[in-house]
Amino acid sequence: MGDALNQKENQEQTFRTIEISVFRYNPYSKHSKPRFETYSLSETPSMTLYIALSKIWATMDHHVSFDFVCRAGICGSCAMVINGKPRLACKTRTEEFLDGKITLMPLPTFKHIKDLQVDTGSWMNAMSQKVESWIHTKEKTDISKIEKRVEPDVAQAVFELDRCIECGICLASCSTRIMRESFIGAVGLSRVARFAIDPHDERTDADYYELVGDDDGIFGCMSLMGCEDHCPKELPLQTKIAYMRRKLVSQAIKS
Amino acid sequence: MKIIYTDALIVGGGLAGLRSAIAVRDKGLETIVLSMVPVKRSHSAAAQGGMQASLGNATKGEGDNEDVHFADTVKGSDWGCDQEVARMFVTTAPKAIRELASWGVPWTRIKKGDREVIINGQKETITERDEAHGLINARDFGGTKKWRTCYTADATGHTMLYAVANEALKRNIEIRDRKEAISIIHEGDRCLGVVVRDLISGELCAYVAKGTMIATGGYGRIYKQSTNAIICKGIGTAMALQTGIVQLGNMEAVQFHPTPIVPSGILLTEGCRGDGGVLRDKDGYRFMPDYEPEKKELASRDVVSRRMVEHIRKGKGVSSPYGDHLWLDISILGREHIEKNLRDIQDISITFNGIDPADEGSKGWMPVLPMQHYSMGGIRVKPTGESTTMRGLFSAGEAACWDLHGFNRLGGNSVSEAVVAGMIVGEYFADYCKNTHLQSHTETIQNALEGQYEYLKTILTYNGSHNIFAIKEQMRNVMQEKVGIFRNGKDLNEAVVELEILLKQTREITVNDKSMGNNPELNEAYRVPMMLKLALCVAKGALERTESRGAHYREDFPKRDDANWLKRTIATWQNHEDTVPTLSYEEISIDTMELPPAFRGYGRKDALIPHPFTQNRETQIEKLKEQMGDVDRFEIQEALMPFELPNGYKDKNERIGEKNG
Amino acid sequence: MNKAEIYEFLTSRNKQKKKSRTPARLDAIQSATGAILALFIVFHLIFESSILLGKEAMYRLTKFFEADFIFEGGEPLIISALAFVVFVVFVLHALIAMRKFPASYREYRRYQTHRHLLVHNDTNLWFIQITTGFMMFFLGSIHLYTMMMQPSKIGPFASADRIFSDGMWPMYLMLLVSVVLHAGIGVYRLIIKWGVFDGVQPQQNRLLAKKIIKWLIVFYLALGAVSLVTYIKIGYEHQEHYGERYHKGVKE
Repeated sequence: MGDALNQKENQEQTFRTIEISVFRYNPYSKHSKPRFETYSLSETPSMTLYIALSKIWATMDHHVSFDFVCRAGICGSCAMVINGKPRLACKTRTEEFLDGKITLMPLPTFKHIKDLQVDTGSWMNAMSQKVESWIHTKEKTDISKIEKRVEPDVAQAVFELDRCIECGICLASCSTRIMRESFIGAVGLSRVARFAIDPHDERTDADYYELVGDDDGIFGCMSLMGCEDHCPKELPLQTKIAYMRRKLVSQAIKS
Repeated sequence: MKIIYTDALIVGGGLAGLRSAIAVRDKGLETIVLSMVPVKRSHSAAAQGGMQASLGNATKGEGDNEDVHFADTVKGSDWGCDQEVARMFVTTAPKAIRELASWGVPWTRIKKGDREVIINGQKETITERDEAHGLINARDFGGTKKWRTCYTADATGHTMLYAVANEALKRNIEIRDRKEAISIIHEGDRCLGVVVRDLISGELCAYVAKGTMIATGGYGRIYKQSTNAIICKGIGTAMALQTGIVQLGNMEAVQFHPTPIVPSGILLTEGCRGDGGVLRDKDGYRFMPDYEPEKKELASRDVVSRRMVEHIRKGKGVSSPYGDHLWLDISILGREHIEKNLRDIQDISITFNGIDPADEGSKGWMPVLPMQHYSMGGIRVKPTGESTTMRGLFSAGEAACWDLHGFNRLGGNSVSEAVVAGMIVGEYFADYCKNTHLQSHTETIQNALEGQYEYLKTILTYNGSHNIFAIKEQMRNVMQEKVGIFRNGKDLNEAVVELEILLKQTREITVNDKSMGNNPELNEAYRVPMMLKLALCVAKGALERTESRGAHYREDFPKRDDANWLKRTIATWQNHEDTVPTLSYEEISIDTMELPPAFRGYGRKDALIPHPFTQNRETQIEKLKEQMGDVDRFEIQEALMPFELPNGYKDKNERIGEKNG
Repeated sequence: MNKAEIYEFLTSRNKQKKKSRTPARLDAIQSATGAILALFIVFHLIFESSILLGKEAMYRLTKFFEADFIFEGGEPLIISALAFVVFVVFVLHALIAMRKFPASYREYRRYQTHRHLLVHNDTNLWFIQITTGFMMFFLGSIHLYTMMMQPSKIGPFASADRIFSDGMWPMYLMLLVSVVLHAGIGVYRLIIKWGVFDGVQPQQNRLLAKKIIKWLIVFYLALGAVSLVTYIKIGYEHQEHYGERYHKGVKE
């Protein structure tokens, strides 16, 4: 038993110790003050921040709050600021930080819930409703009949934009959004583009203008590129925002 | 503490819950959806592979129809499913996918002409028909006769979930996230609503409705290793169990997937092996041909998983800080093939493990281990989706035991079930809500609310030596080791005993943070006992079921025993103080089966103890077919096993090149 | 009061319940005026650097712009007019672009903290842009005002005297840096903003555009600096004869 334990310890000693500093604050508690809490833990091979934070929570501090759902980089729950950069924590491996020091903060521009938790859900739902993020058509589909044909390449192009996971990283990386909280950001603008190229949607450019044709929408974007450079799904945000801008400006000039 | 009234209440915002909400809303009812997380984060989004629906558009899907899909599903279930439900499902699935297409899901479409595919590791050219150009494509999946799995690249569940969630937003369905239902309010066998805890403020609130639906997904997280999202704790199922009235069905039917990556548990699709990837042990030896000389790595999911664990038990696993594992080697397919056809696998492997699977030799091998993947069991419901024992309580999707999957679910049938159940059950649920009047039960509701408040308060006053996190870890270990892929009487017995002890220990803990607000320690303190109750249902159900069926494999009873076990396990939690569930059984009648029990077509042929009535039913069916003479398949089906569907879902599905569609 | 304005004031919509098209126009005008000014600067700096080819070259070019091929001895009012046109575009651009500036200390503070956390090149570039833009409110105005009021005082000696003896060189140095950086970064942003080189590989095109712009900035800064030094040198040598004009054929 003793031997086995020693062996285990020896094995663990071969891994380096990393320090994770976590922003701690509960805006709903009178007693809570913003602070950073630092945890030291032994790094294991291919450790992600999901594994590290779960370990901290289960063994070191039961009170730290953070959000993970899929822990596979597809649901967007765990977006947080990691050493200054908004990223998905579940896809971030600790070994990439050579000095072993990692600072975690909640995503800015969203309502803070506690520690690393922010409320992206309400904002994203409101955004979806603002840009009417659904197919608009007068056609009535008979679902027992053969589906409407779509060119394979067009379906692929729509899919490219449909990959957005509403993680909020584009907003947290956008200085425009940081300054002006009414700005709808890349997530909203690319969503409009997604429907604009979808053959099922019958909306016109004039309709889209009504949704995002102002300084909270497409004309608020200053092309600072934080969105595209940090998007964990590598969506073509730059080109799609430009596409919508051209469309809506020409619509305005024509009208 | 507030009480909120609505017409229809849906707990769970995944595909099944949201699609049901749409069905209800479209009938003009006020609808509230409660979800622990923003609904678009639901685990439905994790489905990569696709959705089964017999469209028959692709060349390799030609000739597909409801009958073929039905047979595949029943065989897959190892005859554990409800065949009536399976019929309802396969008939509605093509409509579901077409509805989703009209809602904007960018299904991958067919390009006419030649394309190169890899079948059994060999390059083959297939030609797509001109008339299929632009229609929804399909790919191959395990256990299906035809290429039937429709997909949007590698993110099928995600695109489906977003389309459905957006449709819900369009209809102004009230979606409230970060709300956790923790208890069902009921008066006798009549469900009134749920007590809900706000996960931001900790506030308790009663949601009262004419009808309540639970669509909270599976309970995979009771296992140490699972591909499930970390929210898949089965709280909705457990809360139903705790009423003492609601029945859970087939809880021991738990599916394991052979190749999730270690340690993150993220799935590496079956396509890896489908394309020719192989499994290796710690010596780099390809071991599957020794066990399954014929199908090798491409035997069915349950078989491959079993063989892998068997091999690890022989000491052939690779040890790692995360436990023993095996290797999945796709490097032999070549970099070009991987970067073209298995790009996402490569991405996962690089991101989470720093391994590029295209690197030659052992450098590119990915660590894999069979892990819990899907919960076939759940809240036992009638074909309408209503609980068998509680009025006004419905359930759909993975949370339910509607019983589409029996003891083994086919790949591609999960998201498909979620949407289809949302359509069908949603319709019945809406009718129920419409025809029910909300009566005043203020006292019951108030008592339920206060009861939950007191319960949480009590948890905070516990003063024991145990730690809830440690208890949870032990539970997950017990489930992993003793109620896993291989089961036997001894281990299962031990598991039940150990889980009982753990359940008692959940009252002997100390919660350090005494806050009733956003308190992640308190969350665990009330969730873990619920998870333990589900774990006990699984373990006890597995212990009692002395046969092997589908994913439930007993080393001491390796045969499928139709003579004694053609029945569903029903679990209830009779008394609050109980430490084990009460089990009973529901017969599955052969007399009404459209497809009587037989050999599945894969797995071991001799491992079958037939039911004496099987022969009868087969003869009966033959005779009937003969009598009917030359009629179409729909008439025969109707004669064999009539079934009903609401809302025109029984209309015949049109297909290209099928006249009678 | 204009009814349409009242409707928009109260509903954010016009009479037809439509959104105003003005933001779209402003966006387009901001880009268009920026592009015009950038184009102007590209040529301006080249022409100005004609001094590197000698006083004679610069003199001839000046006279050419004064249209000495039509008016004998040249007509400086043409320069005045040109400066006026540029001034109008300049003011228009400044007016519209100003709406993107941080509008309060809070906005400014949030931007600063954010960019220091983010360490993101394009986000930092914007700080250069607003800083240089702000500087040019003044520097650009001074220069353009001079050109409008004293259009005749352009020439190898006149310009050099202004730069050296009138003590304008620090202003010109700052203006040079501001204008080149602002125009360069502005053009890069225009390319992204309107998707000019999106093509098949938009990301690579963006990197390429950035690289080219970077080298153009270096080139123009160097060109401008060398020209400025040359004027300072001429001004220094010419200080004794301050005010005397260069005439064709005068020996150096």
